[in-house]
Amino acid sequence: MHSNLAISPRLIMILGAGLAVVVIAFVIGKVPISYNIRNLTIRWKTTILTGLAFTLVVSLLTVMLAFVNGMAAMTEGSGHPENVIVLSDGATDESWSTLLKTDLSDVDRVKGILIDAEDRPLCSQEVYIIASQTKKPGPGQPERRRFVQVRGIDDPSIAAQVHGIDLLPGGSWFSEAGVEGLPKADGKEQETAVQTVIGEGVARELGKDLHKERLQPGDVFELGPKKWKVTGVMKSSGSTFGSEVWAKRSYVSLLYGKETISTISLRTGGAETAKAVATELTNNFKKANLQAQTETEYYAKLTATNKQFLFGALFVTVIMAFGGIFGVMNTMFAAISQRTKDIGVLRILGFGRRQVLVSFLLETMLIAFTGGVLGCALGSLAHGVTASSIISGGQGGFGKTVILRLVVDANTLAVGMMLTLVMGVAGGLLPALSAMRLRPLESLR
Amino acid sequence: MQYFLTLERFLRFLKQNPQYGPPMIAGSAGVLLVLVFVGYWFHKYWYLLLKSLTRNLLRTGLSALAVFVLAIVVTLVWTILVVLDVVMTEKAKDFKAIVTERWQVPSRMPIAYAPSLKEGAASKPGDLKPDDNMSWQFYGGTLDPEKRTWENTLFFFAMEADKIIPMMDDLENLNPVYVKRLMENKQGAILGRERLKRLNKGIGDRFTVVSMSHKGIDLEFEIVGEFPAGRYDSSAVMNGNYLVDAMDAYPTTHNGAKHPMADKSLGLVWFKVPDSDAFSKVAEQIMSSSLYTSPAVKVETASSGIASFLEPYKDLLWGLKWLLVPALLVTMALIVANAISISVRERRTEMAVLKVIGFTPGRILGLVLGEAFLVGGASGLLSAAVLYGAIHVGMGGFPFQIAFFPKFDIYVDSLWWGFLFGTITSLAGSIVPAWSARTIKVSEVFAKVA
Amino acid sequence: MAAEAIVRVSEVHKFFRRGSEQIDVLNGLNLGVATGEFLGLMGPSGSGKTTLLNLIAGLDTPSQGDIWVGGERVSRMTEGQLARWRTRHIGFIFQFYHLLPVLTAYENVELPLLLLPMTAAQRKQQVMTALELVGLSDRLKHRPGQLSGGQQQRVGIARAIVTDPTLIVADEPTGDLDARSAEEILHLMALLQKDLKKTIIMVTHDPRAAKRAQRILHLEKGKLVTDGAPSDAVLSHP
Repeated sequence: MHSNLAISPRLIMILGAGLAVVVIAFVIGKVPISYNIRNLTIRWKTTILTGLAFTLVVSLLTVMLAFVNGMAAMTEGSGHPENVIVLSDGATDESWSTLLKTDLSDVDRVKGILIDAEDRPLCSQEVYIIASQTKKPGPGQPERRRFVQVRGIDDPSIAAQVHGIDLLPGGSWFSEAGVEGLPKADGKEQETAVQTVIGEGVARELGKDLHKERLQPGDVFELGPKKWKVTGVMKSSGSTFGSEVWAKRSYVSLLYGKETISTISLRTGGAETAKAVATELTNNFKKANLQAQTETEYYAKLTATNKQFLFGALFVTVIMAFGGIFGVMNTMFAAISQRTKDIGVLRILGFGRRQVLVSFLLETMLIAFTGGVLGCALGSLAHGVTASSIISGGQGGFGKTVILRLVVDANTLAVGMMLTLVMGVAGGLLPALSAMRLRPLESLR
Repeated sequence: MQYFLTLERFLRFLKQNPQYGPPMIAGSAGVLLVLVFVGYWFHKYWYLLLKSLTRNLLRTGLSALAVFVLAIVVTLVWTILVVLDVVMTEKAKDFKAIVTERWQVPSRMPIAYAPSLKEGAASKPGDLKPDDNMSWQFYGGTLDPEKRTWENTLFFFAMEADKIIPMMDDLENLNPVYVKRLMENKQGAILGRERLKRLNKGIGDRFTVVSMSHKGIDLEFEIVGEFPAGRYDSSAVMNGNYLVDAMDAYPTTHNGAKHPMADKSLGLVWFKVPDSDAFSKVAEQIMSSSLYTSPAVKVETASSGIASFLEPYKDLLWGLKWLLVPALLVTMALIVANAISISVRERRTEMAVLKVIGFTPGRILGLVLGEAFLVGGASGLLSAAVLYGAIHVGMGGFPFQIAFFPKFDIYVDSLWWGFLFGTITSLAGSIVPAWSARTIKVSEVFAKVA
Repeated sequence: MAAEAIVRVSEVHKFFRRGSEQIDVLNGLNLGVATGEFLGLMGPSGSGKTTLLNLIAGLDTPSQGDIWVGGERVSRMTEGQLARWRTRHIGFIFQFYHLLPVLTAYENVELPLLLLPMTAAQRKQQVMTALELVGLSDRLKHRPGQLSGGQQQRVGIARAIVTDPTLIVADEPTGDLDARSAEEILHLMALLQKDLKKTIIMVTHDPRAAKRAQRILHLEKGKLVTDGAPSDAVLSHP
């Protein structure tokens, strides 16, 4: 799972190198830093305007990267390296996969599949449906639909062990029957509801229809032609199962007319065993053409949308960074033109060209650093915010609608600070070079 | 937001109604003349403005560049938002509706539903029939089953060839010869240029698809045409009856067994109606019909259907609209505010002198705002023009997949968006420094100078 | 000259290029300044006095000829060498003071010491000494904007002497001051020369300032015209 506190070693190195350069410049620079700080405070309006630009760019980058992180965490958190996912040959994702049950009787006998305490192979045959549900429209709003991922499973205890899913306290898995009667309304016939356990994300999403923060065990909602009753909420934050509705496979197949199996999920003894099982099923299973892979491989392929978002985020950030760079360059050129006499005096007193360069570069870095820190702080407010998105392999198929949490981790903040430092250097270098080149005598005229 | 495509719609209207061309040109020339006259009337001020801006070309250039690059992103993002908003907005008339499976996606209905659905399930006197219709099936497979890759995988829309141009959006420029070829050749296929590139094929080439969606139904195709550059670059279209005939022939070679997809082959049916009342009538006919129970169907407008597919992106689109775009606009305003503030501060003496000469405070305000207007407006307009040239003319759209929109084109309206964004943000950013310039006290300035 | 020459200017020429035109500012100048001498440079605008001052102070290099200051041939130093040399050997007093507006009086005076290997305590001692000498030890924390013209120039003088330089050069030090302030500054400079035995070269248009000098040099068109004590005849030379 994602660790919020760990920074990747490469980022540490780059950030460390950048900061080291700044610190060295600070140490070797002879012009007192109080000179730069006081100039910034005297021109506080300009300083704030320039710093705010940095704050906006960095905070936006932080939020965008938090979104991408959330998507990555979702796909990483969904796949267990020791699990194998089996689809029909040629299917790009579960929604296109069709396997005949009669062809699958020997799948759970493949060597390497774990057995549970009751001597049952950890093999879950599942049917996967993307259900279309009408959303309750707001006042004056047109009717809209949402897609809800429904997974039909035979045995919740097997499925829970295979996928490593527990329920939040207060809930229970659905019964063997998979349905229960609802309280009879006056004058109406008794209705039955499909028992279901739902993910945390979809509990929040469907809760909006009932004006609740989220659905709890006992709540009833409509999906398809039936009512569904929540018996439990899966502890599934950070995985795609958080966006799913699970019910008895027989009812799901009946309701949606899908008699075939979409997916078989298998738990093995370890990552290497999983690879061996996947290879065995793909190459040597005779009864049907299977496409087996480890779950980590499967979910890694669903990152096409995430890569696109990341590319988009970086593109926007680079463009915005250029805007910020030109802005700070403008500010510093103006500052230098107003302080040419100061520069002349410093040079006459004996301060070298490089010291003048370092002084003005540090001034820019001060603005950049302060703006960047504020930007990271502002962007960090997005941590934990939920958002809907879609993950897909980009090769046809509908992908999976997921409810993810934005993740602002140490890497994100490190990237934000790197960006601000790069912007500071890029924006401040040319003006500082021009300050360095001023001839003392000319600058005093 | 649909007003943001006013110019595009107007130009399309002109293309379809060329008789309005000459009066429009005359009108535009008249407006231009008025603008030139106004510009000449105030030429002294333009002269002053330009002199002020060119006093420090480096700093003016940097401000303009900053606005230029930020306006590029705003225009790109705004394009996505406007296009998606337009397709999700209900029309008042001449709109399309779709019939799909009611409870799940992908929609898989029996092909037997198609004939009656296309007629709007009209069965009794008084029932309304749609003005036009089209059915879609989906067929996909690979050209190399041994080594399946993204490059050799192909998904077709199988439909009635004669309905392509009247029923599908943005295909007015499709060469009708290609459609004719498709109608005459059951095995024909029209592909988008990127799809052709990926397959390394061209018009006239033949290939066989080993199906993944319809196992056992492998079909041979001949490429008879190419879609114009734009949103169909990655698409492929085939004859719907080719697939239907192949499905019908399946039992003859498989011991009478129906293909597993036989009752699931129909994806959706489109129909056109004149207005919302007609839509409601046809929808009611279909929903109340006993023909469509297994599976049940639903009828919705095209915009509503598209909106459903965009539902997973709602938070992302919200973020673009309410976080990214405002942040970009505010950054632009900040950069201009900074530049104009510095400029006003440096020219306090100059402005005091203008006041002594006789410039009113209002004129001083106008001068500063005018500078911001010029910088922002010119940069915004230029950035939009560059984007339009590079993306619309050069690339036919920028690739960014959202649902089934693989790319987004830059419309001619972006020219006035760019100008608008640039001028509004620059004016907003320069209000405070311009006011400060307006209120400069001559006595204070000259006391300091002395 | 009775005392040893601390400054020697030998056949110095200086010209500038303006487009294709060459403008000769100094023409074969020869000059010596004794240790502890107070020398005034006078002349009409464009005569080359400020240029000569700048050459002696190491702010510029001659086109031809040599200049020695304190036994070092400054005319052949590189820009970096000149910067380091100026810190230790030159104290410059400007007409418009040129204090850094954001720094206090103390910090302005301390600036040159930051380039020398001194501890903070050592710097403090020297700064306080310099400020006491100019009579501004009660204005340490004032910024230039809070000081009068005369006080600012005294801070400028304190900055010029804080490194105990070999030579003090002053370019119109009273040019921006009223009569009373100017008198105070000139008195201070005379004290520096008499009590601290400082060598001072001053460019001035002000006859009152010139009277304080021990010797006046008149320049005209880049050449020395008169050289003598500040008598009325010398001072009245056009």
